[in-house]
Amino acid sequence: MLVDLNETPHQSAFRREAREWLEANVPAHPLPSFDTAEGFALHREWEKKLYAGRWSAVSWPVEFGGRGADYIEWLIFEEEYYRAGAPGRVNQNGIFLLGPTIMEVGTPEQKARFLPTMASSEIVWAQAWSEPNAGSDLAGIRSKATRDGDDWILNGQKIWASRAVWADWCFGIFRTDPEAERHRGLTFILCPLDLPGITVRPIAQLDGDTGFAEIFFDDVRVPTANTLGEENKGWSVAMATAGFERGVSLRSPARFTEAANRLVHLWRSHGDKSDTALADAVTDAWMMAEGYRLHTYQTVTGMLEGRPIGAESSLNKIFWSEMDVRIHEIALQILGPEAELMEGSEHERWVDGFLFSLSGPIYAGTNEIQRNIIADRVLQLPKGM
Amino acid sequence: MRFSFTDDQRLFAEGLRDLLSNECPASHVRETWDDGTGHSPGLWRKLGEMGVLSILVPEEHGGMGASPVDSVLLFQELGRAAVPGPVLEHMSVVAPTLAAIRPGVVDGSWIGTLALESESLVPHASASHGVLTGEELVEDFAVADRHGIDGGRRLAAIAGGRRTAVDVDVERARLSITLATSAYLVGLGERMIDIAAEYARQREQFGKPIGSFQAVKHLMSDALLKVEFAKAPTYRAAWSLASGSATADRDVSMAKALASEAAYRASRGSMQVLGGIGYTWEADLQLFMKKSWALMRAHGDAVHHRRRVGASVLGS
Repeated sequence: MLVDLNETPHQSAFRREAREWLEANVPAHPLPSFDTAEGFALHREWEKKLYAGRWSAVSWPVEFGGRGADYIEWLIFEEEYYRAGAPGRVNQNGIFLLGPTIMEVGTPEQKARFLPTMASSEIVWAQAWSEPNAGSDLAGIRSKATRDGDDWILNGQKIWASRAVWADWCFGIFRTDPEAERHRGLTFILCPLDLPGITVRPIAQLDGDTGFAEIFFDDVRVPTANTLGEENKGWSVAMATAGFERGVSLRSPARFTEAANRLVHLWRSHGDKSDTALADAVTDAWMMAEGYRLHTYQTVTGMLEGRPIGAESSLNKIFWSEMDVRIHEIALQILGPEAELMEGSEHERWVDGFLFSLSGPIYAGTNEIQRNIIADRVLQLPKGM
Repeated sequence: MRFSFTDDQRLFAEGLRDLLSNECPASHVRETWDDGTGHSPGLWRKLGEMGVLSILVPEEHGGMGASPVDSVLLFQELGRAAVPGPVLEHMSVVAPTLAAIRPGVVDGSWIGTLALESESLVPHASASHGVLTGEELVEDFAVADRHGIDGGRRLAAIAGGRRTAVDVDVERARLSITLATSAYLVGLGERMIDIAAEYARQREQFGKPIGSFQAVKHLMSDALLKVEFAKAPTYRAAWSLASGSATADRDVSMAKALASEAAYRASRGSMQVLGGIGYTWEADLQLFMKKSWALMRAHGDAVHHRRRVGASVLGS
């Protein structure tokens, strides 16, 4: 068989091992949101537990705290993780975005220094890219880093930095060549968040929690050894990171498969069975999640066979973010007027999930920007707005 | 677990694409419309020589003995070229079923089509020597043209004829033709998007290629998204059918629902990009659009197949 969707004995054993560990270790009750102080601390403890079991970064090499799992095994782990109802990943910006980037462009010293503490969540990472005037137009970054001997002096303002309120370090992009324009003259710099001159101002997001923040840099001094990749080549480093974010690494299919299955259960218990349009909508949501799962298996098999993911990752990003909104819209439709009830409602998770899903089409590059990328790079249409 | 095609499968599909780009350009499809046959004997012969027509015929009957996984990319390539004539019906069901009693199906010298649902809307009947129903092979039948929208897939009512009882696995036949049609629709969708992208690169308005405008980029990206996300479910359906999976019925329905919608979206998006040209008889786009509009409803439309998936997923 050539396409073969059956698991190998090795893959089945891996799945079993993950399932048993998760069953024994996943907290019995959901943790408070990691966008609260208490929840953040509890999620960090959970990450440490994952790390102790070597489950925090399964696809990383063993030397950095992973298992050297291939992509298929990683997908299997994700399926088991969501199936077990395990906590959200408070260090996902580190483990799934910055980690792979460091492995790709970091020096041996940087790998040894940053990866193990990332895998253990001793250091939790925040992303510091966007600025008040550099959102979709990320190349409009104005925060700057000025060289002073072996240090960078950072000045400027970042915004929408997820987890920054309680995180330990951030990874940012700064303008290092004031003469250069747009994508040139930017540098990718790693910076602790407790340095003198740094002010973190929490921003309450749509659900009321402070999931992101502004970061102000006022003559902040960091060693130039914290530069990731080449000086003035930060854009290409950032685009590698963004590829991980839009592609398979941050949004594994298991999350949506699990949500779609919960939606089917909700329809069975609460859905109006005489409403064929509703049944069609639920089926459609299930098909989207199943389609995304299959598409992802196809993509990762291609990656294993040496066909790296390129601008196609933008197709993934649009698909999963729109699917996530759709799954939650249908759930709220089934719940009717009670759908809006938050704390204390047995269905609170759906309205919370709906609010969160609305961020999907915006973050990691808005879906409009992704459509431009697809048009330019996949369809080879001429550049221009 | 491995979800990709082998080099051999890819090479065969690429070989077919090369053949079709030479032997079946849009101008040739149009010729089969203009001459009223909806069929190209010369191209058919070449497909027979290449082994495409007998891909699913068991080896003991002289075929390639391949599986639905081996053939799914071929159906997609046939769709990319909007190949006229009964390729879907002949390849997916008629040839594998009749190879023992009508050996000419293997090299294509005997042409068969399919009428599982109705004898009053039979595609390609006038181009075929025989029509396979759910229980009979019909030959020497009378044909009344029904004037369908797709000149490369002429619809007819058949009557009378010489009838031979044939043991047909109707359920398997239904899945096979539906899967083949899904893959063909994916190929049609790809081609329509290619045509529109090519046009958007060339056509200038306001002093720029229209493909530089976001409204056009986004419309085309959305169409591409639907087509790209119809592929994996279609390939999975092929695997389910090949491996005898218990979910084969559900998976083929999922493929047909997604491929039908993807091809329709591609047709609407592409026509919009071509503007007034897209509304003309002269534009080649119509050859692909009309094929997709015929096939999206053949063997069950998206609504029908979504409900089949729903019956499987929501039931119990």
